[in-house]
Amino acid sequence: MGMLNLVLSNISRKPATRLYPFEIREPFKEFKGRLVFDPENCILCGICQKKCPADAISVTKADKTWELNVFRCIMCTECVNGCPKECLSVSNERPKTGAKETIKVVVPIVEKPKANTPKAESSKAASSK
Amino acid sequence: MTTIIPFGPQHPVLPEPIALKLEIDDDVIVGVLPSLGYVHRGLETFVNTKDYNQTTYICERICGICSALHGITYTRAVEKLFDVEIPERAQYIRVIVGELNRLHSHILWLGLFADGFGFESLFYECWKYREGVYDVLERITGNRVIHSISKVGGVTTDLTKEYIDITLKMLDTLEPQIQNIEKVFVNNYTVKKRLVGLATMSKQLAYEAGTAGPTLRGSGNAIDVRNTSDWDIYKDLGFKTCVEDGGDCYARTKVRINELYESIKLIRNAISKLPNGEIATPVKGTPTGEAIMRTEQPRGEVVYYVKGNGTRKLERLKIRTPTFANIPSLLLTLPGAKLADVPIIVLTIDPCISCTER
Repeated sequence: MGMLNLVLSNISRKPATRLYPFEIREPFKEFKGRLVFDPENCILCGICQKKCPADAISVTKADKTWELNVFRCIMCTECVNGCPKECLSVSNERPKTGAKETIKVVVPIVEKPKANTPKAESSKAASSK
Repeated sequence: MTTIIPFGPQHPVLPEPIALKLEIDDDVIVGVLPSLGYVHRGLETFVNTKDYNQTTYICERICGICSALHGITYTRAVEKLFDVEIPERAQYIRVIVGELNRLHSHILWLGLFADGFGFESLFYECWKYREGVYDVLERITGNRVIHSISKVGGVTTDLTKEYIDITLKMLDTLEPQIQNIEKVFVNNYTVKKRLVGLATMSKQLAYEAGTAGPTLRGSGNAIDVRNTSDWDIYKDLGFKTCVEDGGDCYARTKVRINELYESIKLIRNAISKLPNGEIATPVKGTPTGEAIMRTEQPRGEVVYYVKGNGTRKLERLKIRTPTFANIPSLLLTLPGAKLADVPIIVLTIDPCISCTER
């Protein structure tokens, strides 16, 4: 009579589901929701583009842009682990419904002066700080 | 006079499209003709455009239910090709996530099966329990369906103390819940009337038809890749193959329920024996040669064949999935059955058509 017990105990129990739009489950802190790009330290090396299995990231050195196609991204976090400057991180928030397909960021990269004169070297050190 | 009626590709009991042309005489089936190919995606060719590590993510997307085990099998095959040893801790984490994967897959199947024979509240009950497993997997790996735990050379996420605690806590609540639903599946009069003696396959027939997984073990063949292949960890963890002798739908259900307990035992043993150390070794190179790897998935034995040609990309990837091996058993057991029993018989092989067609 296992089934009858299950059904009877379910009558007196609270529903197992949530009343969705009014009661939203907070995402777990480990949940891979979306990529967060911090252009501050980016050197446009393009490693994230090479590592991406879904071809979601494109880095253009000429225009100094970093572009992410949110719909293609599969949240594997290969780029996050591969980034040498730790510009990429994961947030546990989902991309909002109706969000734009692509995120385009212009990277404020500091032009590296050629390191043949001592003067140029000092200015490079200053810029990296 | 016989009539041909189509079963599928769209049918209430089938989550995925497979078409069976049933030749019926009055109410009894006399012939079956399957037709596949509705969800072919060409993933085996697609891997030629990606490198070794990126291919892991494609292999995981072959199937949503056994995604972790697809990834694990692929990475083990590639590691065999590279001839690298991965850290022991990584191997244990793979076993833990793989068995969690099997847990939720079998509970999903039990729910679908209950729905197939008309026990709707049992169906919801099973899927309610499955959410607990999914929550743990989501917390460990960060993803709900495609876990991406395995990478070439190790695993992506470490199993910290916090995750071990939530896993053990989940198993402690899940075990009595499974015992609850087991009573219904095993002892209920209606269920037994419906399943016992249905679509019986003898031990010899199941072996000769080349079936795999619970379909094979439900007929009394003690063949499980976790025991027979070169994946030694399972032997250290005290794995015991679950076998039933009935050969009918009831026996296959019992095999799957026993495997749930076996998986819980394996996860507990693996956590208690979890060694310390690294979780991944760097793997570099462009290997040539070929490798074959077998793993036991929830539905049976999966075989991966990989061939490298000295570049960063695979030359050939070939996958033999368990459902493909189990479809011949349908053609052998369906003739003689009644039309009303077809949904149950089709469900007992646990068909995963996305795997089969890739």
